[in-house]
This record gives sequence, structure tokens and C-alpha cells, in this order.
Amino acid sequence: MSGGISISFSDVAKRYDLRVVFRAVSGEARPGEALVITGPNGSGKSTLLAILCGLLRPTKGAVRFLKDDGDEIPRNEWGRHLGVVAPSMAVYEELTALENLRFYARVRGLALTDAEHRVLLERVGLDPDRSTTVRGFSTGMAQRLKIAQALLHSPSVLFFDEASSNLDPSGQDWLEAQVQSLIDDGRTVVLATNDRREMTWGSQNVSLAG
Amino acid sequence: MSRWLAEALAVAAKDLRAEFRTRVALNSLALFALTTLAAVSYTIGPYRLATEDRPFLLSVLLWIVIFFAALAGLDRSFVKEEESHTAPLLRLAATPTVVWAGKLVYNLVLIFVLMAMLAPLFCVLMGFEIAMPWRFVVVLAVGGYGLAVITTIVAAIIAQALTRGALFSVLSLPLLLPLLIIVIEGTTAVATGDVASYSESLRAMVTMAGAMTIVSAFLFPVVWRD
Repeated sequence: MSGGISISFSDVAKRYDLRVVFRAVSGEARPGEALVITGPNGSGKSTLLAILCGLLRPTKGAVRFLKDDGDEIPRNEWGRHLGVVAPSMAVYEELTALENLRFYARVRGLALTDAEHRVLLERVGLDPDRSTTVRGFSTGMAQRLKIAQALLHSPSVLFFDEASSNLDPSGQDWLEAQVQSLIDDGRTVVLATNDRREMTWGSQNVSLAG
Repeated sequence: MSRWLAEALAVAAKDLRAEFRTRVALNSLALFALTTLAAVSYTIGPYRLATEDRPFLLSVLLWIVIFFAALAGLDRSFVKEEESHTAPLLRLAATPTVVWAGKLVYNLVLIFVLMAMLAPLFCVLMGFEIAMPWRFVVVLAVGGYGLAVITTIVAAIIAQALTRGALFSVLSLPLLLPLLIIVIEGTTAVATGDVASYSESLRAMVTMAGAMTIVSAFLFPVVWRD
């Protein structure tokens, strides 16, 4: 992959009214590496991930997406460069897996064929001919579809929040191989997790106190 | 077809596909409209109004049924995205104006389906005679567009609130009231065959719907992203 993106964040803090979620968190995620965010329940891992994605604004501090040449990517363009898998982010239950991928491809302006969608569904372990809507999926199958959605546009940056939580052991092995292949391909990976196995996938670590 | 339009139509098509599979908004709109229409036609009927009052009072009743039915179902477009946690991925995948335009098209389709069912039924049950039928269709179309524009932006605002409840109606009514007055005047004019009054009402409707479109297009990215 050409043209990696680094994420740099410094002194990031988040509070809701009087409740402080975390304060002064800094770190950097670089292409070809995985940054692991850890911390006890309620420490703000998912909140930090949402801030790094641009879905939430930090109360203090700054997050920057930087290209290889040092140019900064404006916040309103981050979505084009990243893919996210998180428990708080769902795909459409009323659509089938194939319809979901078709929709996300269209709104992202990608000219992908059904054959390409089918290949991606097979890659994440889903049957592309399954005609039931996502409502009829198990949580593990829905998780696999979310992963397919995140990989659809071959993003430079990938965020995984407890990504292996609903996967069976073979699915966890598959996800580990996928993450490793993304890292080897020069992509930037950020993992928010408390899973001991997922913690070993990263080379950088940010620990939230809770 | 431009890329922007294709993306907006993808959002509308996704919402319509999901809606025709679950029929939550369509059922809300249709049930409210049909219940109100049944109550109105049973209590008032086609002959209880004085002939000279009929065009105005029937126009008022028609639009009250349409407006309140719209308030019962059109807030779903954004509330559903937030409640089912699909909004974050949509925020990342699509630009705000694409989402706004797609949701507007979706609400337009729902309101036009409602009007196509309700208006002929209302005219038959209430004996509402229209002197200028094609101009009546124009009033319904422009009024429906204005209604869809206003309810789309209000739905986007209330979807961010923790206590949605009656917020949609409370925020919509002050914005819809001027439009309601104008479309009632326009409908009365097409019922009586008053071309001058129809033209004046149509100008006011188009101006208001146009202004709300521009305001919504600028306001939506702020509401959607923050």
C-alpha cells in the first residue's frame, strides 16, 4: 500500500459536564504498526477511539491525521481514510449483508461490482448468497459483516474496538491474521481492548487509568 | 448522474428499502391519516357545512390531517439511525449534504405516498369539489415539499436529543404554521377557482420552501457532525 497515514494525539481530554472521562492522553499510531489502547471498564477506551475517528470532539487537546509527506488531513475528510469496527456502531438490520456492502460502497462513491462484494463477504467468512437480513444474523456473523464494511474501501487507518469479542476461536484466529496482514501492508491499526490476546498484536500502547 | 446525486439517492433507496420491509413510518402515517379522516368524515360528513364555508373549512381539515399525520411518522428518518446505532458509520461514510438530501428524498416519497392515498379519499368522503384539479396537485406537491424540508431538518435536530418525546411536534409546529396558513389559502383558491389568489399562495409557498431548503442545507452539517 502506498501513502500511509499517521495519527498523532496530544493532551487529549474528555469530560461530560462534571464527569471527567480521561485527561491529558497522548500517543501516536504509525503506518505498519498497531497502537493498543487499554484500560479498565469505563476508563474511556471507546470514547478515545471515537475522538480519534472524528466522531467526537475532545474537550482539550488535539488529534492530527498526517500523510507521509507531513501534510495534515482536514477533520472532515478523515472518514474517507478510515474503517471502524466497534460495538457502538451497527450496520443496517433491515438489509442483507450484500445490500449493506452495496450501500456503503455507493455512499463512499466506490464503483465496486457485486462480484467484488461477494469476494469480500467470503473473505470475512460470510455466505454472499444468504438472503436473510442482518436481523437474523448471530452476533458473530454481524461482527464479521462490520469487519467487511470496515475493509470495503481499503482504508489506510483501521480502528478495532473489542473486535474479537463476538467471534468464535477460529474467527479470532482469522481476525489476528487479518490485523497482521493489514500491519504488514503498511496500514495504521488502532485497537481498543482488554483482551490479553489482542493486546499482543500491538507494538505501541496507551493505557487509560480509569 | 452526478456523484453527489448518486450518493444521495443511495441513502434514500436504503431508507425506502428498510421502510418497505418494516413499514414502521408508513403504518404510523397511514393509520393516523385514516383514523383522523374517518373521525372527520363521520362527525362532519359531506353535507353539514354551509356551501359558502365548504372550500375554506375543508381545506383546513385536509391540511390538518396531512400535517398531523406527517408529524406522527416523519421523525423516524434520523431517530432510527441514532436508536439503531447506524448513525456513526453513516457519518464516517457519507458527506453531510449527501445524508441530508437522501433523507429529504425519503421523506418526500413518504409524504407523497400519504397524499396520493389521502387526498382523493378525503375529496370523495367529504364531497370536496375542486374547480382546478391540476393546480390542486401543484399545491399538494409544493406544500408536501415544504412539509418534507421542515420535518427533515427538525428530525435531524431532535435525533440528537436525549428526551425526544414530543420535541418533534413542539419544534416543528412554529416552523410549519406559516406554511400551513399559506397552503390552506392555496387549496381554498383551487377549490373556488380563484386564479389570482392561487398564484399569490403558490409564490409564497415556493418562497418559503426555497428559503427552508437553503437554511436546512447550511444548518444540517453542523447538526449532523456536532
